[in-house]
Amino acid sequence: MERSQTVTQKFSSFSSSSSSASSREDRPREIDRSRSLGPVKLEKSYGKKERDTETVTIEEDEEERQEEEEVEVVVVVNKEEEVSNVPEEPSEASFGSMSEEVDGFLSFLLSIDDGRDQWPEPPAMPEPTIKKFLDFVEEELVKYESGKDGVSPPANDELVLFDAIDRVAKLTSALSIFSSDTRYNKAMTRASSILRYAMCFLEDEFHSLLEDSKPKKDPGIARPKAKRRPSIGHLHEAIDRCVPPSSEPDLVEFPSTYPPEIIERLRGIAGAVVSAGYATECCQVFTIARHNAFDVALSNLGYEKLGVDDVQKMPWDSLEAKIATWIKVFRQTVEVAFPRENDLCEAVFAGHSTIAYSIFHNFARGVTILLLGFAEAVAMTKRSAEKLFKVLDMYETLRDMVPRIDALLRTESEPDDCSAAHDLTTEVALVGSRLGEAVVAIFCDLETSIKTDMGKNAVPGGAVHPLTRYVMNYLKYACEYKNTMEQVFRDHKTSENPSSQVEDAAKGSSDDSHNPFAIQLMEAMELLHTNLESKSKLYRDPALCSIFLMNNGRYIMQKIKGSTEIHQLLGDTWSRKRSSEMRQYHKNYQRETWSKVLACFKDDGLQARGHVAKPVLKERLKSFNAMFEEIHKAQSSWVVSDEQLQSELRVSVSAVIVPAYRSFLGRFSQYLDTGKKSGKYIKFGPEELENYIDELFSGNPSSMVSRKRT
Amino acid sequence: MGPGQRKGETLSNGDKRGLLGFRASGIGDLRHRSNSLLPLLQSPHLSFNFDRTRDSTDAPGLRFGGFGGVTMPAADFQGLSAPFAATGRSFLSLRRDHAAHPMDAHHRHHIDAGEQREFDAFQRQVADLFNDLAGGGDEILSISWIRRLLDTFLMCQEEFRVILFGHRRPPALIDRLVSDFFERAVKALDVCNAVRDGVDQVRQWRKHLEIVLVTLGPGHRELSEGQLRRAKKALGDLAILMLDEKDTGSVMSHRNRSFGRNSGSSSSSSGRRSHFRSLSWSVSRSWSAARQLQAIGNNIAAPRGHEVVETAGLAVPVYTMNSLLLFVMWALVAAIPCQDRGLQIHFSVPRSYLWSAPIMSLHERIVEESKKKDRKNSIGLLKEIHQIEKCVHHLTDLMDAAQFPMADDREMEVRQGVQELAQVYEALKEGLDPLERQVREVFLRIVRSRTEGLNCLNGAE
Repeated sequence: MERSQTVTQKFSSFSSSSSSASSREDRPREIDRSRSLGPVKLEKSYGKKERDTETVTIEEDEEERQEEEEVEVVVVVNKEEEVSNVPEEPSEASFGSMSEEVDGFLSFLLSIDDGRDQWPEPPAMPEPTIKKFLDFVEEELVKYESGKDGVSPPANDELVLFDAIDRVAKLTSALSIFSSDTRYNKAMTRASSILRYAMCFLEDEFHSLLEDSKPKKDPGIARPKAKRRPSIGHLHEAIDRCVPPSSEPDLVEFPSTYPPEIIERLRGIAGAVVSAGYATECCQVFTIARHNAFDVALSNLGYEKLGVDDVQKMPWDSLEAKIATWIKVFRQTVEVAFPRENDLCEAVFAGHSTIAYSIFHNFARGVTILLLGFAEAVAMTKRSAEKLFKVLDMYETLRDMVPRIDALLRTESEPDDCSAAHDLTTEVALVGSRLGEAVVAIFCDLETSIKTDMGKNAVPGGAVHPLTRYVMNYLKYACEYKNTMEQVFRDHKTSENPSSQVEDAAKGSSDDSHNPFAIQLMEAMELLHTNLESKSKLYRDPALCSIFLMNNGRYIMQKIKGSTEIHQLLGDTWSRKRSSEMRQYHKNYQRETWSKVLACFKDDGLQARGHVAKPVLKERLKSFNAMFEEIHKAQSSWVVSDEQLQSELRVSVSAVIVPAYRSFLGRFSQYLDTGKKSGKYIKFGPEELENYIDELFSGNPSSMVSRKRT
Repeated sequence: MGPGQRKGETLSNGDKRGLLGFRASGIGDLRHRSNSLLPLLQSPHLSFNFDRTRDSTDAPGLRFGGFGGVTMPAADFQGLSAPFAATGRSFLSLRRDHAAHPMDAHHRHHIDAGEQREFDAFQRQVADLFNDLAGGGDEILSISWIRRLLDTFLMCQEEFRVILFGHRRPPALIDRLVSDFFERAVKALDVCNAVRDGVDQVRQWRKHLEIVLVTLGPGHRELSEGQLRRAKKALGDLAILMLDEKDTGSVMSHRNRSFGRNSGSSSSSSGRRSHFRSLSWSVSRSWSAARQLQAIGNNIAAPRGHEVVETAGLAVPVYTMNSLLLFVMWALVAAIPCQDRGLQIHFSVPRSYLWSAPIMSLHERIVEESKKKDRKNSIGLLKEIHQIEKCVHHLTDLMDAAQFPMADDREMEVRQGVQELAQVYEALKEGLDPLERQVREVFLRIVRSRTEGLNCLNGAE
C-alpha cells in the first residue's frame, strides 16, 4: 500500500508540468486492492467494438454531442447492472464507452493523417474523454501494480489492461500528428508519460515473470541412451575382458522453461510492449533473462566452464570426465534446450516471427559458441593414444548436432550460403574438423608406438605379447567407430590433397583400396606383424619361435573374427594370407620339433641283411625316450592359451607321432627281450604317449619322471 | 571506415616501405580470413555424404556429412603456408640491409649469415609496424587502432612462422624456446575468448543506444516527455551496464535514484536489479584477465648474449614474439571489457631492440590513459566506450535539467547530444563485427601455428 502510493506520487511528479497531472496531485489517491477490472468490463469493451466504424465518420461537431450521449447511455447501463458501484466509481463504469470513443477518435485522426495539410486547424478533440481515459488507465496501472505482490491477477484483467495500453500507445502517436497544437501537445505528453510508465511497469513485470517463475521439474524427459562404448583408458590392463562402462555421472536434464499460464502472461506483455514500439527493451530483458537462466542450468548440470589453458593442464582422467559431461550437455542443449527455447520465443513473441527468430538465433549462437570452446580446447591437447575414443565421441556429437542446429535455424527466405544457420553450422563443422584432425594424428601415433616398441625380453612360453593385445584391442575399439574413422580419414586426405576428392568420388568410396582408413589400418597391422617377427627372434628355440608367432597370429585372427568391422576393412585376401602364414608356422614347428623324433622310427639302418640290429634298436628307443621326455618337459611349459589352437597342435602331434610309434613298436618290439628289461627301452605305451602329448602347451612345467615313480 | 579501406591503407603503407610482395600476400590473406566463413561457403568441398546422418542429409539445402571439406585446419593452413613461405623467403632475401642488432657483433660469425639477415629483417619489420601504430592516423585505443594492432600482430606472427619453420634446426635448440612461446600463446587464447565476449557485451550496449536514437532521433518532430523518459531510462540502464562489475553494487543504488521507476520508494534501497545485467559468459567466475596477463608475461626476459649464441640467434625472434604477444593481449584487456581486468604487468624492452621505442611509448600512453581521472574506473579504455560514457552523462544531465515544454535551445542541445551518440553508434556498428572476427582470427592463427610447431617438434624427435 505504502509503496504503491509513493509510486503514484512519483509518477505524478513526472508529469508535473502538465496541467492534468498537477490537478491530479491535489487529490490523494486511495488504492483499493480488492477492486478489479472484472470480466463484465471486458465484455463491454469488446461487445461494443463493432460500433468503431460508425464513429470514424462522425464530424467534429457531432462528436462532442455523441460523447455526452454515450456517457449517459453507459451510465444508464451501468445503473442497471452494478447499481451500488455507480456513485463511487463512475469512471470504471464508463471505461468501455471511453475506450470506444478513443478508438473512434483514433481512427478519425489516422484517416486524416495523409491529408493533414488540409487541416489548418487541428480537429476538435474529445478532451474530457481522453483525460478520463488516461486517468483511468493510470489508476488501473497503479492498482494493478500494487496488487501484483499478492496473488496473480485474473488473466482477464491483464487483457483489459494490455488493450488499454495499446490504445494509449496508438493515441500517443496519433496525437503527435497535431503536436504543434497546445491542446494536442498536452494530451500527447500526458499519454506518452502514461505509456512510458506502463512500459516501465511491464518491463519489470516481464522481467520478474522471467526470473522468478520457477519451472516445474519435467519428469517426462527421455533418458539418454547409455553410450555404447566403455572408456578404455587402461587398455593394457583391460586385456581381453570387456571393460564395464564407467559409472555415468547424473543424467543431464535441462529444466523446462515456464508453465503455460506464465507463458500466456509473457505473451500478453510482450504483445503490448512490442506493439507500443518498445520491442528493443523487451527483447533485451528476455534475451538476458534466458541467457542467465541457461547459465544457471548449465552449472546445475555440473558443467564447468574451462579455459583453453585449464584444459591443457588437466590430467587425462579428469578431462575424460569433463568430456563425458560435455557430450551429454551439448546433446541435451541441442536436442532439448534449443527446441524448448525456440518454442518459448515463438510462444512469447507470437505474431512477431522476426523478433522470435532473432532472439532464438542469438541464444543458439551464444550457447553454441560457448560450448564449442571446450571442444576446441580438447582438440588442442597433447595427443595420446587413450584420448582417441573420447575425441571421436566429441566429433560424432558435433557432427550429429549440425543437422539439428541447421533445422532449427534454417529459414525459408534466406539463401543457403549466407544464412545465419549456415554461419553457425560452419563454425561447428570447423571445430569438428579440428577434432577430426586430432583423431587422425592420434591414430597415426599408434604406428609410431608399434614401431618403437622394441622390448628385449621375450614373453615366457611364447605366449601372446602384450603389444599384440594392446594393438588389437585398440584397433577393435577404433573399428567400432568405423564409419566415423573412415570419414575422418577421407576428410584428412582431402585436406592434404584436395584434388584427390574428385578422384575418389569418381571411383566410389566403397572401394577399400581408396579407403584411407583401411589403408592406415592395414599399415598398422603390417607394422605389428613386422614387430612380432622381430620379437620372435628373441627365442633361441626355433620351435618356440613358431609357437610365439602362432599364438600371436591366432590372437589376431580371433580378434578379427570377433569384429565384423575390422574383418571388412582388412578383407578376405588379408585373412587368407594370414591363415596360410599360420599353417606355415605350424609346419615349421612340426619340422623343428618332431622330425628328429620321427627319424627314430625309420627302418633305415635298423635292419641289416634281414636282421634287426638290436643295439641300434635299443639305441633308437633310448634316444626317442630321451628326446620325448625333453620335449615334454620343455613344451609342457609353453603357453598356448587359445584352446582350439592348443588342441589342434596336440592332435596334429599325436597324429604324426603316435601311429608312427605304434607301428614301430609293432614291427620291432618282438626283437627286444621280454620281461623286466623291455620296460627299460619301451617307456611309454602308445596311449601314454598320447596323454603326455596332451600335456604340451599347458603352461605347467611338469616332469613325467616324477609322476612315473608314484 | 569499412574493412576494405582499412586494409587498403595498411597496404599502401607497406608499399611505401618496399614491402610489396610480402605485405600484399599477408594482407590478402588477412582479408580472406577476416571474412573467414565466406570463402568456405563457396568451397567445392562442400559435398558430403555420411552414412550416419543419411536420414538427415535431406534437410533442405545442406547436405552435411561429417565435416569434410569445410576446411580442415590443415588444408586451410596449407593453402596459405606454401605460397606464403615462398613469398616470405624471396622477400626476405631481398632485404640485405644490415639492421642494428641487439647482439654482440663478435657473436655473429656463429650464426648462419642468411638466417641472421632474416632475423634482422624481422626486427626491422616489427619496428616499422609498431612505428606506424604509434604514429599513425588512428587514435590510440579506438576500434580501428585495435584492429590495426591485431593486423600487425598477425603479420608478425606469420613472419615468425616462416622464421621458425623455414629452417631445419637441431631440435634441442628450439625445443625449449618454442614450447615456451606456445605455452604463453595458449594462455593468450583464453584472453582472446574473454575479449570476444567483451566485444559481444559492447554489442549489447548498442541496443540501448538504439533505443535512445529511435526515441529521440530526427524521426520525431517533437520531443515528448514520455520519449525523453524512455531515452533516459535506456541511458540509465546503459550507465549501469557500463560500470565495472565489482563496482556495480555500490554505485547501482546511487544511480537508481535518477533512473529507477520506483526510485524513492522503500523497495529501491535493496538495489534495483538490472534487467540487463548478464552473467559472465564464456569464462568461469574465477577467471581473471589480470592473472592471465601475468601468466603470459611471466619470465619474459631479453636473451643474454650466450643464450643468443646457444640458440643460433633464434632466441631473439622468440623473445620478440613473446613481448608482442604480451603487449597485444595486454592492450586488448586494457581496451575491451572483460572479467577482472588489471593492467599491472611488468613490461619493458631493452632499448637496443629496434621496436622497443614505439612499443614502450604505446605502453606508456595506454598506462597514462588508464590513470586519467575519468577513465580510471572505466570498464574498458576503448575510445568508443569513452565516447559513449561522455554522451550518456551529457545527455542524462541535459534531460535531468529539462523542463516541459522544452525550450528550443534545450531541445537543440539534446538533439545534438543524440547526434553525437549516433556517431558512436555507427562506429560500433561498423567496427565491432570485424573486430570480433579479427580476435577470432588471432585465436585461430595461434592454434594453427601451435599445432604446426608441435608437429614439427614431434617430427624431429
